[in-house]
Amino acid sequence: MTNVSHRAVVAGVGESAYTERGKAPLSEFQLALTAIRAACTDAGLDPREIDGFVSYMDQRNDPLRLSAALGVRSLSWTSQPWGGGGNNMAAAVQLAAAAVSAGYARHVIAFRALAQGQFGRFGQSRAAGRTGGDFAYQHLYGLLSPAQECALHTKRFLHDHGISQEALCEIALASYANAQRNPRAIRHGHPLTREQYHASRWIVEPFHLYDCCPENDGAAAILVTARERARDLRAKPVAIVAAAQGLGPAFGVSAFQGRWFPGVFYRDVAEKLWQRAGCRPADVDVLQVYENFTGPVLMALCEMGFAAPDEVEKFVADGALAGPEARLPFNTSGGNLGEAYIHGFEMVNEAVRQVRGESTCQGTRPVERSLAVAGPGYAAGSAVLFGAP
Amino acid sequence: MRVLGDDWLLPALDASNRAWFTSGRLGLQACTRCDGVQFPPEDACRSCGSFELGTRESAGRGRIESVAVVHHPVHPLLRAHVPYAVVLVSLDDAPGVNLVGNVRNRAAGEVAIGERVRVVFEEVRDPETGETLRIPQWEVVP
Repeated sequence: MTNVSHRAVVAGVGESAYTERGKAPLSEFQLALTAIRAACTDAGLDPREIDGFVSYMDQRNDPLRLSAALGVRSLSWTSQPWGGGGNNMAAAVQLAAAAVSAGYARHVIAFRALAQGQFGRFGQSRAAGRTGGDFAYQHLYGLLSPAQECALHTKRFLHDHGISQEALCEIALASYANAQRNPRAIRHGHPLTREQYHASRWIVEPFHLYDCCPENDGAAAILVTARERARDLRAKPVAIVAAAQGLGPAFGVSAFQGRWFPGVFYRDVAEKLWQRAGCRPADVDVLQVYENFTGPVLMALCEMGFAAPDEVEKFVADGALAGPEARLPFNTSGGNLGEAYIHGFEMVNEAVRQVRGESTCQGTRPVERSLAVAGPGYAAGSAVLFGAP
Repeated sequence: MRVLGDDWLLPALDASNRAWFTSGRLGLQACTRCDGVQFPPEDACRSCGSFELGTRESAGRGRIESVAVVHHPVHPLLRAHVPYAVVLVSLDDAPGVNLVGNVRNRAAGEVAIGERVRVVFEEVRDPETGETLRIPQWEVVP
């Protein structure tokens, strides 16, 4: 395995206002433009100088429409990774970094925009009618949604390692606690207690309501450029130290094959990321992990190397992850659960802000390595490590 | 009566899954070159890449590897059937293959990881074609 080029940096971050599903005052396309323009303003770049776009999860707002609306002078790079959904949040950053490092584009926007009130809802059944392909073997048994699929993995993981419901609760509490510090967060002003968590209804055991990401509308974007070009821009550049997309062999796309069950498909990501970054989990100063559901977060912590499965409950216990001075500050903007579910891209913005020292949950210790881990449980997984330039 | 009601969705049948859902047998895809068994089916063997794929029948005995009890119905037709349990079953004679299903002889809250199960087939008439489908399901073996 070879080292990757470290030329790419993040020169700007931006987002729209985040709202609950259906409450966005703008169209989804306008949300995307708002976030992109905000990232350019942050960087001090004329949006017409953008020459590349990357996204993920079959982004509806395509670069041709965006280029026209932004007045882009010369479009050079468009790309999306394949497969799944939020698992490719960091893979999109990797594509932007690759384009810039190789010199195929100069100013690449990586983004995600969604307005579930204007299009389909991601939390609903995938099956409107009869389905074929791999889903044929699960829909007829009432296995229809990501929450249910992740519940099968989580239930077995908890069973095998003697992990209690409290460990899931700790993930939700940490995200909610940090959201109380963040005025952008949809759950700002709505703290969550341990009692409320346990009293909330089951969605699918072992997930209570608060174990599940909400449905939100909004957009988030970063501007990726080359290190030498960032000197001419306004914002403090943040290095893309390493990114990785990964999947081990012989995984059936929607199956629960024995070899990988239970799991979230991050072992291969971890191996590549730590090798490319030249560091270890213990060197990470602040961590964002995509909560589709709390259970996969625990598994991702283990597969990325932060804790052994038999130790992970202790690792997260008693508020160990919450607040700016936590041993390992986690989901510091409130994450998908507390800030907004922009399919994890709000976490990319937060990971960058941590390196810049601009988080609403900034600790007193300097942040040199800031990691964002994309959606666990769907293949291929991805992660990106940001750092001081 | 099917576990999730007789009006619950059926699979869309095609050449790759028709035998699985109509024969009343668990015919797993097996490679004629390397003997690898795989599920769900694919156009090539995931072990050796061969296109020469046949079928090998499983006896349908296995173990519950996990269970998810669904309380929130994500489809209107399921509102009358929650809570229901979805299980993952490993087959004794096909290591690595895990099948999704429901358990017919236990209430949702009484299905546990590690229990032994055997396959049973729910017969249902396809309202679109009149064809008889035989859907693999599971019963806990005492």
